Amino acid sequence: MTMSSTLNIQNLTVSLRSGLPLLRQVNLTLEPGEVRALVGESGAGKSMIGKAVLGTLPPATRVTHGQIFLRGQALDHLNAAQRRHCVAQSAALIPQDPLTALNPVRRIAPQITDPLTRIHGWSAERAQTRALELLHRVEIRDPARVMRSYPHELSGGMRQRILIAAAFAPSPPLIVADEPTTALDVTVQKQILKLIRELQKEVGTAVLFVTHDMGVVAKISQKVSVLFQGRVMEDSTTEAIFSNPTHPYTRALIAATPSYADPARSFSPVPPELIAQMKSKIAQEEIW
Amino acid sequence: MADVSLQTTPRARSGRRNLRLWLPLAWITTLGMAALFAPLIAPHDPLYQDLFLERLPPFFMSGTEPGYWLGTDSLGRDVLSRVIYGTRIALCVSLIAATATCLVGSTLGLLAGYFGGWWDRVISRLIEIWMAFPPVLFAVLLVAVMGTGLTSVIVAIALIDWTRFARVIRAETMVQAQMDYVDSAQIGGARRLTTLVSEILPNVLPSIVALLMLEMGIAVIVEAILSFVNLSLSSDVATWGSMIAEGRNAIHFAWWVLLFPLIALFLTVLSFSQLGEGLKQRFDPVLQ
Repeated sequence: MTMSSTLNIQNLTVSLRSGLPLLRQVNLTLEPGEVRALVGESGAGKSMIGKAVLGTLPPATRVTHGQIFLRGQALDHLNAAQRRHCVAQSAALIPQDPLTALNPVRRIAPQITDPLTRIHGWSAERAQTRALELLHRVEIRDPARVMRSYPHELSGGMRQRILIAAAFAPSPPLIVADEPTTALDVTVQKQILKLIRELQKEVGTAVLFVTHDMGVVAKISQKVSVLFQGRVMEDSTTEAIFSNPTHPYTRALIAATPSYADPARSFSPVPPELIAQMKSKIAQEEIW
Repeated sequence: MADVSLQTTPRARSGRRNLRLWLPLAWITTLGMAALFAPLIAPHDPLYQDLFLERLPPFFMSGTEPGYWLGTDSLGRDVLSRVIYGTRIALCVSLIAATATCLVGSTLGLLAGYFGGWWDRVISRLIEIWMAFPPVLFAVLLVAVMGTGLTSVIVAIALIDWTRFARVIRAETMVQAQMDYVDSAQIGGARRLTTLVSEILPNVLPSIVALLMLEMGIAVIVEAILSFVNLSLSSDVATWGSMIAEGRNAIHFAWWVLLFPLIALFLTVLSFSQLGEGLKQRFDPVLQ
Protein backbone atom coordinates (compact mmCIF):
# COMPACT_ATOMS: atom_id res chain seq x y z
CA MET A 1 0.00 0.00 0.00
CA THR A 2 2.96 2.30 0.50
CA MET A 3 4.22 4.51 -2.29
CA SER A 4 7.49 2.58 -2.27
CA SER A 5 5.85 -0.60 -3.65
CA THR A 6 7.11 -1.46 -7.12
CA LEU A 7 3.70 -2.70 -8.10
CA ASN A 8 0.38 -2.29 -6.36
CA ILE A 9 -2.79 -3.73 -7.87
CA GLN A 10 -6.08 -2.84 -6.21
CA ASN A 11 -9.42 -4.51 -6.92
CA LEU A 12 -8.45 -5.19 -10.52
CA THR A 13 -11.29 -6.61 -12.59
CA VAL A 14 -10.70 -7.45 -16.25
CA SER A 15 -13.62 -8.63 -18.36
CA LEU A 16 -14.31 -9.78 -21.87
CA ARG A 17 -16.49 -7.46 -23.95
CA SER A 18 -19.36 -9.88 -23.34
CA GLY A 19 -19.06 -9.10 -19.62
CA LEU A 20 -17.47 -12.38 -18.53
CA PRO A 21 -14.85 -11.51 -15.89
CA LEU A 22 -11.34 -12.93 -16.38
CA LEU A 23 -9.90 -11.32 -13.24
CA ARG A 24 -12.12 -10.66 -10.22
CA GLN A 25 -11.12 -8.02 -7.65
CA VAL A 26 -7.44 -8.94 -7.69
CA ASN A 27 -5.24 -7.33 -5.03
CA LEU A 28 -1.51 -7.77 -4.90
CA THR A 29 1.62 -5.84 -4.05
CA LEU A 30 5.22 -6.33 -5.05
CA GLU A 31 7.96 -4.68 -3.00
CA PRO A 32 11.29 -3.70 -4.61
CA GLY A 33 13.52 -6.70 -5.20
CA GLU A 34 10.80 -9.17 -4.31
CA VAL A 35 9.79 -12.23 -6.35
CA ARG A 36 6.10 -13.06 -6.32
CA ALA A 37 4.80 -16.19 -8.02
CA LEU A 38 1.35 -16.27 -9.58
CA VAL A 39 0.13 -19.87 -9.63
CA GLY A 40 -3.03 -21.54 -10.78
CA GLU A 41 -4.29 -23.84 -13.51
CA SER A 42 -4.68 -22.77 -17.16
CA GLY A 43 -7.25 -20.04 -17.59
CA ALA A 44 -6.97 -18.89 -13.98
CA GLY A 45 -5.87 -15.43 -15.18
CA LYS A 46 -2.20 -15.58 -14.21
CA SER A 47 -0.94 -14.16 -17.50
CA MET A 48 -3.81 -11.65 -17.62
CA ILE A 49 -2.43 -9.87 -14.54
CA GLY A 50 0.94 -9.43 -16.26
CA LYS A 51 -0.74 -8.25 -19.46
CA ALA A 52 -2.91 -5.77 -17.56
CA VAL A 53 0.19 -4.28 -15.93
CA LEU A 54 2.19 -4.09 -19.17
CA GLY A 55 -0.75 -2.77 -21.21
CA THR A 56 -0.86 -5.66 -23.67
CA LEU A 57 -4.32 -7.00 -22.89
CA PRO A 58 -5.99 -8.61 -25.93
CA PRO A 59 -8.34 -6.28 -27.87
CA ALA A 60 -11.45 -8.16 -26.70
CA THR A 61 -10.78 -7.43 -23.00
CA ARG A 62 -11.24 -4.35 -20.81
CA VAL A 63 -10.16 -3.25 -17.36
CA THR A 64 -13.61 -2.69 -15.87
CA HIS A 65 -12.64 -1.90 -12.31
CA GLY A 66 -9.68 -1.24 -10.04
CA GLN A 67 -6.31 0.45 -10.27
CA ILE A 68 -2.70 -0.42 -11.03
CA PHE A 69 0.10 1.62 -9.44
CA LEU A 70 3.53 1.19 -10.97
CA ARG A 71 6.10 2.73 -8.58
CA GLY A 72 3.34 4.85 -7.12
CA GLN A 73 2.10 6.09 -10.50
CA ALA A 74 -1.56 5.28 -11.20
CA LEU A 75 -1.51 3.89 -14.74
CA ASP A 76 -5.18 4.53 -15.48
CA HIS A 77 -4.68 8.29 -15.08
CA LEU A 78 -2.32 8.34 -18.08
CA ASN A 79 -3.15 8.48 -21.75
CA ALA A 80 -1.98 5.68 -24.04
CA ALA A 81 1.35 7.29 -24.96
CA GLN A 82 2.22 8.33 -21.39
CA ARG A 83 1.26 4.91 -20.13
CA ARG A 84 3.45 3.17 -22.69
CA HIS A 85 6.38 5.39 -21.75
CA CYS A 86 5.83 4.82 -18.01
CA VAL A 87 5.65 1.03 -18.46
CA ALA A 88 8.69 0.98 -20.76
CA GLN A 89 10.72 2.92 -18.19
CA SER A 90 9.85 0.72 -15.22
CA ALA A 91 9.06 -2.74 -16.56
CA ALA A 92 10.13 -5.47 -18.95
CA LEU A 93 8.77 -8.84 -20.02
CA ILE A 94 10.30 -12.29 -20.28
CA PRO A 95 7.76 -13.92 -22.58
CA GLN A 96 6.47 -17.45 -22.64
CA ASP A 97 7.34 -18.46 -26.18
CA PRO A 98 10.87 -17.54 -27.27
CA LEU A 99 10.08 -18.60 -30.85
CA THR A 100 7.61 -15.79 -31.54
CA ALA A 101 8.89 -13.15 -29.11
CA LEU A 102 11.78 -12.11 -31.35
CA ASN A 103 11.06 -10.44 -34.68
CA PRO A 104 12.12 -13.01 -37.32
CA VAL A 105 13.34 -10.48 -39.89
CA ARG A 106 15.40 -8.27 -37.57
CA ARG A 107 18.83 -9.03 -36.19
CA ILE A 108 19.25 -9.65 -32.45
CA ALA A 109 21.25 -6.48 -31.69
CA PRO A 110 18.55 -3.85 -32.32
CA GLN A 111 15.95 -6.00 -30.59
CA ILE A 112 17.96 -5.74 -27.37
CA THR A 113 19.24 -2.18 -27.74
CA ASP A 114 16.13 -0.43 -29.16
CA PRO A 115 14.42 0.10 -25.76
CA LEU A 116 17.72 1.17 -24.19
CA THR A 117 18.35 3.96 -26.68
CA ARG A 118 14.70 4.88 -27.22
CA ILE A 119 13.34 4.97 -23.66
CA HIS A 120 16.35 5.12 -21.40
CA GLY A 121 18.21 7.58 -23.60
CA TRP A 122 21.44 5.61 -23.76
CA SER A 123 24.00 6.17 -26.48
CA ALA A 124 24.27 3.45 -29.13
CA GLU A 125 27.73 2.42 -27.86
CA ARG A 126 26.60 2.18 -24.25
CA ALA A 127 23.56 0.09 -25.24
CA GLN A 128 25.78 -2.15 -27.39
CA THR A 129 28.26 -2.68 -24.53
CA ARG A 130 25.47 -3.43 -22.07
CA ALA A 131 23.86 -5.91 -24.49
CA LEU A 132 27.15 -7.75 -25.01
CA GLU A 133 27.78 -7.77 -21.26
CA LEU A 134 24.39 -9.34 -20.55
CA LEU A 135 24.61 -11.85 -23.39
CA HIS A 136 27.91 -12.91 -21.89
CA ARG A 137 26.23 -13.03 -18.47
CA VAL A 138 23.51 -15.40 -19.72
CA GLU A 139 26.27 -17.73 -20.91
CA ILE A 140 26.03 -17.15 -24.63
CA ARG A 141 29.26 -18.03 -26.35
CA ASP A 142 30.46 -15.50 -28.93
CA PRO A 143 27.94 -12.73 -28.08
CA ALA A 144 29.23 -10.52 -30.91
CA ARG A 145 28.24 -13.12 -33.50
CA VAL A 146 24.85 -13.72 -31.85
CA MET A 147 24.15 -9.98 -31.93
CA ARG A 148 24.49 -10.08 -35.73
CA SER A 149 22.34 -13.23 -36.09
CA TYR A 150 18.71 -13.58 -37.04
CA PRO A 151 16.45 -15.40 -34.54
CA HIS A 152 15.96 -18.45 -36.78
CA GLU A 153 19.69 -19.12 -36.64
CA LEU A 154 19.51 -19.72 -32.87
CA SER A 155 18.03 -22.48 -30.73
CA GLY A 156 14.97 -22.02 -28.49
CA GLY A 157 17.08 -22.09 -25.32
CA MET A 158 19.45 -19.46 -26.74
CA ARG A 159 16.56 -17.24 -27.77
CA GLN A 160 15.06 -17.46 -24.27
CA ARG A 161 18.43 -16.49 -22.79
CA ILE A 162 18.60 -13.56 -25.20
CA LEU A 163 15.13 -12.46 -24.08
CA ILE A 164 16.23 -12.68 -20.45
CA ALA A 165 19.29 -10.58 -21.27
CA ALA A 166 17.07 -8.06 -23.09
CA ALA A 167 14.67 -7.85 -20.14
CA PHE A 168 17.43 -7.28 -17.57
CA ALA A 169 19.54 -4.97 -19.77
CA PRO A 170 17.94 -1.67 -18.59
CA SER A 171 17.91 -2.93 -14.94
CA PRO A 172 14.16 -2.32 -14.70
CA PRO A 173 12.46 -2.14 -11.28
CA LEU A 174 9.89 -4.72 -12.45
CA ILE A 175 10.05 -7.78 -14.68
CA VAL A 176 7.03 -9.85 -15.60
CA ALA A 177 8.15 -13.40 -16.34
CA ASP A 178 5.26 -15.10 -18.12
CA GLU A 179 5.91 -18.85 -17.81
CA PRO A 180 9.43 -18.35 -19.17
CA THR A 181 10.33 -22.04 -18.96
CA THR A 182 7.13 -23.67 -20.25
CA ALA A 183 8.19 -23.84 -23.91
CA LEU A 184 11.62 -25.24 -23.09
CA ASP A 185 13.25 -28.60 -22.58
CA VAL A 186 13.42 -29.76 -18.94
CA THR A 187 17.23 -29.63 -18.91
CA VAL A 188 17.20 -26.09 -20.29
CA GLN A 189 14.46 -25.06 -17.84
CA LYS A 190 16.78 -25.49 -14.87
CA GLN A 191 19.51 -23.29 -16.37
CA ILE A 192 17.00 -20.61 -17.29
CA LEU A 193 15.52 -20.53 -13.78
CA LYS A 194 18.99 -20.29 -12.28
CA LEU A 195 19.85 -17.40 -14.60
CA ILE A 196 16.68 -15.48 -13.78
CA ARG A 197 17.26 -15.94 -10.04
CA GLU A 198 20.90 -14.86 -10.22
CA LEU A 199 20.22 -11.82 -12.39
CA GLN A 200 17.26 -10.86 -10.21
CA LYS A 201 19.56 -10.79 -7.17
CA GLU A 202 22.31 -8.89 -9.00
CA VAL A 203 20.07 -6.24 -10.49
CA GLY A 204 17.63 -6.08 -7.56
CA THR A 205 14.60 -6.30 -9.81
CA ALA A 206 11.16 -7.22 -8.52
CA VAL A 207 9.74 -10.14 -10.49
CA LEU A 208 6.15 -11.16 -11.10
CA PHE A 209 6.67 -14.82 -11.95
CA VAL A 210 3.76 -16.52 -13.69
CA THR A 211 3.87 -20.31 -13.49
CA HIS A 212 1.77 -23.40 -12.94
CA ASP A 213 4.65 -25.39 -11.53
CA MET A 214 4.74 -25.52 -7.72
CA GLY A 215 8.29 -26.87 -7.90
CA VAL A 216 9.39 -23.66 -9.63
CA VAL A 217 7.51 -21.59 -7.05
CA ALA A 218 9.44 -23.18 -4.20
CA LYS A 219 12.75 -22.46 -5.93
CA ILE A 220 12.30 -18.87 -7.00
CA SER A 221 9.75 -16.85 -5.06
CA GLN A 222 9.32 -15.24 -1.65
CA LYS A 223 5.58 -14.57 -2.01
CA VAL A 224 2.83 -16.51 -3.75
CA SER A 225 -0.62 -15.60 -5.02
CA VAL A 226 -2.80 -18.61 -5.78
CA LEU A 227 -5.39 -17.91 -8.46
CA PHE A 228 -8.55 -19.72 -9.41
CA GLN A 229 -10.96 -18.43 -12.06
CA GLY A 230 -9.48 -14.94 -11.91
CA ARG A 231 -9.70 -14.70 -8.12
CA VAL A 232 -6.86 -14.66 -5.59
CA MET A 233 -7.60 -17.63 -3.31
CA GLU A 234 -4.56 -17.27 -1.11
CA ASP A 235 -1.81 -14.67 -0.80
CA SER A 236 1.08 -15.55 1.45
CA THR A 237 4.80 -16.11 1.74
CA THR A 238 6.21 -19.12 -0.06
CA GLU A 239 7.26 -20.70 3.22
CA ALA A 240 3.77 -20.43 4.66
CA ILE A 241 2.17 -21.73 1.45
CA PHE A 242 4.19 -24.93 1.56
CA SER A 243 4.34 -25.47 5.34
CA ASN A 244 0.85 -24.36 6.22
CA PRO A 245 -1.49 -23.83 3.25
CA THR A 246 -4.79 -22.44 4.53
CA HIS A 247 -6.98 -22.80 1.45
CA PRO A 248 -8.03 -26.32 0.38
CA TYR A 249 -7.27 -25.44 -3.25
CA THR A 250 -3.67 -24.55 -2.39
CA ARG A 251 -3.33 -27.86 -0.54
CA ALA A 252 -4.72 -29.68 -3.57
CA LEU A 253 -2.30 -27.87 -5.93
CA ILE A 254 0.69 -28.79 -3.77
CA ALA A 255 -0.52 -32.38 -3.58
CA ALA A 256 -0.82 -32.49 -7.38
CA THR A 257 2.88 -31.65 -7.86
CA PRO A 258 4.78 -34.74 -9.06
CA SER A 259 7.42 -35.95 -6.65
CA TYR A 260 10.50 -37.83 -7.77
CA ALA A 261 11.02 -39.19 -4.26
CA ASP A 262 7.61 -40.83 -4.12
CA PRO A 263 6.22 -41.36 -7.64
CA ALA A 264 3.31 -43.49 -6.42
CA ARG A 265 1.95 -40.61 -4.34
CA SER A 266 2.48 -37.98 -7.00
CA PHE A 267 -0.56 -38.53 -9.21
CA SER A 268 -3.27 -36.83 -7.22
CA PRO A 269 -5.14 -34.27 -9.34
CA VAL A 270 -7.18 -31.50 -7.78
CA PRO A 271 -10.48 -33.15 -6.71
CA PRO A 272 -13.37 -32.23 -9.04
CA GLU A 273 -15.71 -31.76 -6.03
CA LEU A 274 -13.46 -29.01 -4.71
CA ILE A 275 -13.42 -27.24 -8.08
CA ALA A 276 -17.20 -27.49 -8.40
CA GLN A 277 -17.61 -26.14 -4.88
CA MET A 278 -15.29 -23.17 -5.54
CA LYS A 279 -17.02 -22.39 -8.85
CA SER A 280 -20.45 -22.33 -7.25
CA LYS A 281 -19.14 -20.12 -4.43
CA ILE A 282 -17.71 -17.62 -6.93
CA ALA A 283 -20.95 -17.71 -8.94
CA GLN A 284 -22.99 -17.00 -5.78
CA GLU A 285 -20.82 -14.04 -4.82
CA GLU A 286 -21.17 -12.67 -8.34
CA ILE A 287 -24.96 -12.54 -7.97
CA TRP A 288 -24.70 -10.46 -4.80
CA MET B 1 24.51 -43.67 -52.64
CA ALA B 2 22.23 -42.26 -49.98
CA ASP B 3 24.88 -39.70 -49.09
CA VAL B 4 25.18 -38.56 -52.66
CA SER B 5 21.45 -37.98 -53.09
CA LEU B 6 21.28 -36.15 -49.76
CA GLN B 7 24.03 -33.83 -50.87
CA THR B 8 22.75 -33.06 -54.33
CA THR B 9 19.06 -32.44 -53.60
CA PRO B 10 19.34 -29.05 -51.84
CA ARG B 11 21.79 -27.81 -54.41
CA ALA B 12 19.54 -28.85 -57.28
CA ARG B 13 16.62 -27.13 -55.60
CA SER B 14 18.50 -23.90 -55.06
CA GLY B 15 19.58 -24.04 -58.71
CA ARG B 16 15.97 -24.31 -59.86
CA ARG B 17 15.02 -21.50 -57.52
CA ASN B 18 17.74 -19.31 -59.02
CA LEU B 19 16.51 -20.12 -62.52
CA ARG B 20 13.09 -18.90 -61.45
CA LEU B 21 14.74 -15.63 -60.50
CA TRP B 22 17.23 -15.20 -63.33
CA LEU B 23 15.17 -16.23 -66.38
CA PRO B 24 12.39 -13.71 -65.72
CA LEU B 25 14.96 -11.10 -64.79
CA ALA B 26 16.77 -11.69 -68.12
CA TRP B 27 13.53 -11.29 -70.10
CA ILE B 28 12.53 -8.13 -68.25
CA THR B 29 16.01 -6.65 -68.65
CA THR B 30 15.79 -7.37 -72.39
CA LEU B 31 12.44 -5.58 -72.46
CA GLY B 32 13.89 -2.66 -70.53
CA MET B 33 16.75 -2.35 -73.01
CA ALA B 34 14.33 -2.60 -75.94
CA ALA B 35 12.19 0.14 -74.43
CA LEU B 36 15.13 2.46 -73.71
CA PHE B 37 16.90 2.02 -77.03
CA ALA B 38 13.87 1.41 -79.26
CA PRO B 39 14.88 4.00 -81.90
CA LEU B 40 18.34 2.38 -82.21
CA ILE B 41 17.19 -1.23 -82.28
CA ALA B 42 14.00 -1.07 -84.32
CA PRO B 43 14.76 -1.67 -88.01
CA HIS B 44 11.89 0.55 -89.18
CA ASP B 45 9.65 3.40 -88.08
CA PRO B 46 6.78 1.63 -86.26
CA LEU B 47 4.25 4.00 -87.83
CA TYR B 48 5.57 4.07 -91.39
CA GLN B 49 3.01 2.57 -93.74
CA ASP B 50 3.99 0.95 -97.01
CA LEU B 51 0.92 -0.47 -98.73
CA PHE B 52 3.06 -2.29 -101.30
CA LEU B 53 4.54 -4.39 -98.48
CA GLU B 54 1.35 -5.31 -96.64
CA ARG B 55 1.06 -8.65 -94.74
CA LEU B 56 4.58 -9.85 -95.39
CA PRO B 57 5.20 -13.18 -93.59
CA PRO B 58 7.97 -13.58 -90.97
CA PHE B 59 11.53 -14.59 -91.92
CA PHE B 60 11.10 -18.36 -91.78
CA MET B 61 8.36 -18.45 -94.42
CA SER B 62 8.52 -17.95 -98.17
CA GLY B 63 7.77 -14.62 -99.85
CA THR B 64 9.56 -12.38 -97.34
CA GLU B 65 11.33 -9.09 -97.89
CA PRO B 66 14.78 -8.68 -96.28
CA GLY B 67 14.72 -6.49 -93.20
CA TYR B 68 11.17 -7.37 -92.14
CA TRP B 69 12.04 -10.14 -89.65
CA LEU B 70 8.60 -10.67 -88.19
CA GLY B 71 6.63 -9.59 -91.25
CA THR B 72 4.30 -6.64 -91.66
CA ASP B 73 0.67 -5.92 -90.79
CA SER B 74 -2.25 -5.03 -93.06
CA LEU B 75 -0.95 -1.46 -93.47
CA GLY B 76 2.59 -2.60 -94.26
CA ARG B 77 4.05 -1.55 -90.89
CA ASP B 78 6.97 -3.62 -89.51
CA VAL B 79 5.73 -6.01 -86.78
CA LEU B 80 9.14 -6.30 -85.03
CA SER B 81 9.51 -2.53 -84.76
CA ARG B 82 5.99 -2.22 -83.43
CA VAL B 83 6.58 -4.93 -80.79
CA ILE B 84 9.77 -3.13 -79.72
CA TYR B 85 8.05 0.25 -79.47
CA GLY B 86 5.08 -1.42 -77.71
CA THR B 87 7.49 -2.43 -74.94
CA ARG B 88 7.77 1.22 -73.93
CA ILE B 89 4.07 1.56 -73.17
CA ALA B 90 3.85 -1.87 -71.54
CA LEU B 91 6.78 -1.26 -69.16
CA CYS B 92 5.81 2.32 -68.42
CA VAL B 93 2.28 1.32 -67.47
CA SER B 94 3.36 -1.74 -65.48
CA LEU B 95 5.97 0.17 -63.45
CA ILE B 96 3.99 3.28 -62.62
CA ALA B 97 0.54 1.72 -62.28
CA ALA B 98 1.72 -1.26 -60.23
CA THR B 99 3.77 0.94 -57.88
CA ALA B 100 0.86 3.32 -57.36
CA THR B 101 -1.52 0.42 -56.77
CA CYS B 102 0.92 -1.17 -54.34
CA LEU B 103 1.41 2.04 -52.33
CA VAL B 104 -2.30 2.74 -51.96
CA GLY B 105 -3.37 -0.86 -51.28
CA SER B 106 -0.53 -1.82 -48.93
CA THR B 107 -0.86 1.34 -46.84
CA LEU B 108 -4.59 0.79 -46.35
CA GLY B 109 -4.04 -2.91 -45.66
CA LEU B 110 -1.36 -2.22 -43.03
CA LEU B 111 -3.48 0.41 -41.29
CA ALA B 112 -6.61 -1.77 -41.26
CA GLY B 113 -4.72 -4.86 -40.13
CA TYR B 114 -2.77 -3.24 -37.31
CA PHE B 115 -4.97 -0.51 -35.89
CA GLY B 116 -8.22 -2.49 -36.25
CA GLY B 117 -11.34 -0.86 -34.83
CA TRP B 118 -12.69 1.98 -36.94
CA TRP B 119 -9.76 1.89 -39.37
CA ASP B 120 -10.50 -1.74 -40.14
CA ARG B 121 -14.26 -1.27 -40.32
CA VAL B 122 -14.07 1.63 -42.78
CA ILE B 123 -11.34 0.14 -44.99
CA SER B 124 -12.90 -3.34 -45.06
CA ARG B 125 -16.31 -1.97 -46.08
CA LEU B 126 -14.61 0.10 -48.77
CA ILE B 127 -12.85 -3.02 -50.11
CA GLU B 128 -16.09 -5.00 -50.17
CA ILE B 129 -17.99 -2.26 -51.99
CA TRP B 130 -15.11 -1.80 -54.44
CA MET B 131 -14.90 -5.49 -55.23
CA ALA B 132 -18.60 -5.64 -56.06
CA PHE B 133 -17.84 -3.65 -59.25
CA PRO B 134 -16.93 -5.76 -62.32
CA PRO B 135 -13.29 -4.69 -62.82
CA VAL B 136 -13.04 -4.52 -66.61
CA LEU B 137 -16.32 -2.64 -66.90
CA PHE B 138 -15.12 -0.31 -64.17
CA ALA B 139 -11.87 0.35 -66.06
CA VAL B 140 -13.67 0.99 -69.33
CA LEU B 141 -16.06 3.34 -67.56
CA LEU B 142 -13.24 5.23 -65.82
CA VAL B 143 -11.24 5.71 -69.02
CA ALA B 144 -14.37 6.72 -70.88
CA VAL B 145 -15.04 9.39 -68.25
CA MET B 146 -11.46 10.62 -67.86
CA GLY B 147 -10.64 10.43 -71.56
CA THR B 148 -8.09 8.17 -73.21
CA GLY B 149 -4.39 8.51 -72.55
CA LEU B 150 -1.58 7.00 -70.50
CA THR B 151 -2.49 8.83 -67.28
CA SER B 152 -6.08 7.61 -67.43
CA VAL B 153 -4.94 4.02 -67.92
CA ILE B 154 -2.58 4.24 -64.93
CA VAL B 155 -5.18 5.87 -62.69
CA ALA B 156 -7.76 3.28 -63.76
CA ILE B 157 -5.47 0.38 -62.90
CA ALA B 158 -4.59 1.82 -59.48
CA LEU B 159 -8.23 2.55 -58.70
CA ILE B 160 -9.38 -0.94 -59.64
CA ASP B 161 -6.66 -3.12 -58.22
CA TRP B 162 -5.70 -1.57 -54.85
CA THR B 163 -8.14 -3.99 -53.19
CA ARG B 164 -5.92 -6.92 -54.18
CA PHE B 165 -3.10 -5.48 -52.04
CA ALA B 166 -5.33 -4.17 -49.27
CA ARG B 167 -7.02 -7.55 -48.67
CA VAL B 168 -3.88 -9.68 -48.65
CA ILE B 169 -1.73 -7.22 -46.69
CA ARG B 170 -4.49 -6.63 -44.14
CA ALA B 171 -4.74 -10.37 -43.46
CA GLU B 172 -0.95 -10.75 -43.23
CA THR B 173 -0.68 -7.75 -40.93
CA MET B 174 -3.36 -9.17 -38.63
CA VAL B 175 -1.40 -12.42 -38.33
CA GLN B 176 1.82 -10.53 -37.55
CA ALA B 177 0.08 -8.22 -35.07
CA GLN B 178 -0.79 -11.28 -32.95
CA MET B 179 2.87 -12.21 -32.59
CA ASP B 180 4.60 -11.76 -29.24
CA TYR B 181 7.34 -9.62 -30.75
CA VAL B 182 4.79 -6.88 -31.38
CA ASP B 183 3.85 -6.91 -27.68
CA SER B 184 7.55 -6.88 -26.81
CA ALA B 185 8.10 -3.79 -28.96
CA GLN B 186 5.15 -2.09 -27.25
CA ILE B 187 6.49 -2.93 -23.79
CA GLY B 188 9.84 -1.60 -24.99
CA GLY B 189 8.11 1.74 -25.49
CA ALA B 190 7.82 1.79 -29.30
CA ARG B 191 5.06 4.03 -30.64
CA ARG B 192 2.25 2.30 -32.54
CA LEU B 193 3.28 3.73 -35.89
CA THR B 194 6.94 2.87 -35.26
CA THR B 195 5.92 -0.69 -34.40
CA LEU B 196 3.94 -0.92 -37.61
CA VAL B 197 6.71 0.43 -39.82
CA SER B 198 9.81 -1.09 -38.25
CA GLU B 199 8.51 -4.37 -36.79
CA ILE B 200 5.53 -5.49 -38.87
CA LEU B 201 6.26 -4.02 -42.31
CA PRO B 202 9.55 -5.93 -42.79
CA ASN B 203 7.66 -9.17 -42.09
CA VAL B 204 4.98 -8.33 -44.64
CA LEU B 205 7.43 -7.00 -47.23
CA PRO B 206 8.10 -10.32 -49.04
CA SER B 207 4.36 -10.61 -49.73
CA ILE B 208 4.19 -7.00 -50.87
CA VAL B 209 7.03 -7.58 -53.33
CA ALA B 210 5.44 -10.78 -54.69
CA LEU B 211 2.12 -8.98 -55.14
CA LEU B 212 3.84 -6.00 -56.73
CA MET B 213 5.41 -8.22 -59.37
CA LEU B 214 2.10 -9.96 -60.00
CA GLU B 215 0.45 -6.56 -60.30
CA MET B 216 3.01 -5.48 -62.91
CA GLY B 217 1.95 -8.43 -65.04
CA ILE B 218 -1.71 -7.62 -64.48
CA ALA B 219 -1.12 -3.96 -65.39
CA VAL B 220 0.34 -5.07 -68.73
CA ILE B 221 -2.75 -7.18 -69.36
CA VAL B 222 -5.17 -4.41 -68.37
CA GLU B 223 -3.37 -1.97 -70.63
CA ALA B 224 -3.61 -4.49 -73.47
CA ILE B 225 -7.32 -5.00 -72.79
CA LEU B 226 -7.93 -1.26 -72.87
CA SER B 227 -5.91 -0.94 -76.08
CA PHE B 228 -7.88 -3.83 -77.51
CA VAL B 229 -11.12 -1.93 -77.03
CA ASN B 230 -9.40 1.24 -78.25
CA LEU B 231 -9.55 3.03 -74.89
CA SER B 232 -5.88 3.25 -74.05
CA LEU B 233 -3.87 5.47 -76.35
CA SER B 234 -4.49 7.06 -79.70
CA SER B 235 -3.85 4.75 -82.63
CA ASP B 236 -0.63 6.55 -83.64
CA VAL B 237 1.22 4.85 -80.76
CA ALA B 238 2.20 1.20 -81.12
CA THR B 239 0.96 -0.92 -78.20
CA TRP B 240 0.73 -4.69 -77.88
CA GLY B 241 -2.97 -4.48 -77.17
CA SER B 242 -3.77 -2.46 -80.26
CA MET B 243 -1.60 -4.78 -82.38
CA ILE B 244 -3.56 -7.77 -81.10
CA ALA B 245 -6.82 -5.95 -81.84
CA GLU B 246 -5.76 -5.11 -85.38
CA GLY B 247 -4.29 -8.55 -86.02
CA ARG B 248 -7.57 -10.17 -85.03
CA ASN B 249 -9.18 -9.15 -88.36
CA ALA B 250 -6.47 -10.91 -90.37
CA ILE B 251 -5.95 -13.94 -88.11
CA HIS B 252 -6.70 -16.47 -90.88
CA PHE B 253 -4.16 -15.24 -93.43
CA ALA B 254 -1.69 -13.08 -91.45
CA TRP B 255 -1.57 -14.71 -87.98
CA TRP B 256 1.91 -13.26 -87.23
CA VAL B 257 0.49 -9.81 -86.73
CA LEU B 258 -1.41 -11.17 -83.73
CA LEU B 259 1.00 -13.87 -82.56
CA PHE B 260 4.19 -11.90 -81.85
CA PRO B 261 2.72 -9.21 -79.58
CA LEU B 262 0.78 -12.02 -77.87
CA ILE B 263 4.00 -13.94 -77.18
CA ALA B 264 5.64 -10.79 -75.83
CA LEU B 265 2.65 -10.15 -73.58
CA PHE B 266 2.53 -13.76 -72.36
CA LEU B 267 6.25 -13.92 -71.55
CA THR B 268 6.15 -10.59 -69.76
CA VAL B 269 3.21 -11.48 -67.53
CA LEU B 270 4.71 -14.89 -66.77
CA SER B 271 8.10 -13.33 -66.00
CA PHE B 272 6.66 -10.83 -63.55
CA SER B 273 4.71 -13.46 -61.60
CA GLN B 274 7.69 -15.85 -61.48
CA LEU B 275 10.01 -13.02 -60.48
CA GLY B 276 7.66 -12.19 -57.62
CA GLU B 277 7.78 -15.74 -56.26
CA GLY B 278 11.55 -15.94 -56.81
CA LEU B 279 12.15 -12.67 -54.95
CA LYS B 280 9.87 -13.72 -52.10
CA GLN B 281 11.85 -16.90 -51.58
CA ARG B 282 15.15 -15.17 -51.95
CA PHE B 283 14.60 -12.34 -49.51
CA ASP B 284 12.58 -14.04 -46.81
CA PRO B 285 15.22 -15.10 -44.24
CA VAL B 286 12.80 -17.62 -42.74
CA LEU B 287 12.05 -19.39 -46.05
CA GLN B 288 15.75 -19.73 -46.73
